[in-house]
Amino acid sequence: MRIYVDIMHVIQREENHAKPTRILYGANLSYDRLVKHLDELKTLGVIEEVDDHDDRFYRLTQKGIEFINQFRAVERFASAFGFVI
Amino acid sequence: MEFVAFIIALAIAYQALKGYRLTKQRTLWYVHFSFAVLSAGLLIDSLTGFLGILARTFRGTLSLTWIGYSIYFLAQLLAYSMLIYAYVSQTRTLGTTSTTIPLVSLIGLATLQITPAQGIRLLGPLEYHPIPEIILLFLALYIAVQTGMNYSSTKDRSAFLVFLAFLLLTLSHLFFILQPFGPLLFVIGHILQLLGFISLLTMLLRVTRSQ
Repeated sequence: MRIYVDIMHVIQREENHAKPTRILYGANLSYDRLVKHLDELKTLGVIEEVDDHDDRFYRLTQKGIEFINQFRAVERFASAFGFVI
Repeated sequence: MEFVAFIIALAIAYQALKGYRLTKQRTLWYVHFSFAVLSAGLLIDSLTGFLGILARTFRGTLSLTWIGYSIYFLAQLLAYSMLIYAYVSQTRTLGTTSTTIPLVSLIGLATLQITPAQGIRLLGPLEYHPIPEIILLFLALYIAVQTGMNYSSTKDRSAFLVFLAFLLLTLSHLFFILQPFGPLLFVIGHILQLLGFISLLTMLLRVTRSQ
């Protein structure tokens, strides 16, 4: 769960236009794990892969944006009580 | 006042449930359970309080108010204990120790040792319940200390609002204990309790609105 959120955070931080290498470094993952998690996130429908000529990048879908906003609200709520998610 | 507090406690319980469904974090389940129980207790106490006033108007007995308070006391006891358990379980997970754990365990153990008959005696007279309020004072104080420590490390406004809420709830229990010194203290206790819940509501609106 946490790793999914970290990947989505990186994509959002990159103004919803993140190249695989940026996600790799941002989420601190090995290449194999990155590919595996990106596939899982695509299956969940929260991110999508965009191939624009030679430029391959990932962006959050509407479902992904809604999820990350909800997750942040929950994170802030838990953090206000002193709980770590 | 307690009906307003009931609505706020219910809103907190709902947000915690939403968080639990999203993250499957146990601590959020404990927060949900704690505030759900607290809201049920507040609802029962406010309803029985209202019926008690009606009964008094019609020269009835105060037993309904007493039953309402007893249920509310048990709800608060369970709610505070659940929140403390959430803090203790997180402390264990993070691998640190807390000196206040033995104190709270002692209070919890002492409460469990009470038989129903003793419990009835402990609750005291119909409108004044010093022993239960002392127990609740210690439990609320523990949570206030935990949330205060969280605020001191994060300096976050939402964390401050939660700390303020539990500080006000702790003070409200203190004022309920001190009510024989003046009827105004009872009213102040209720106002502090309401302000505590309003502080929680402010935190809830803050965390759900800000993007």
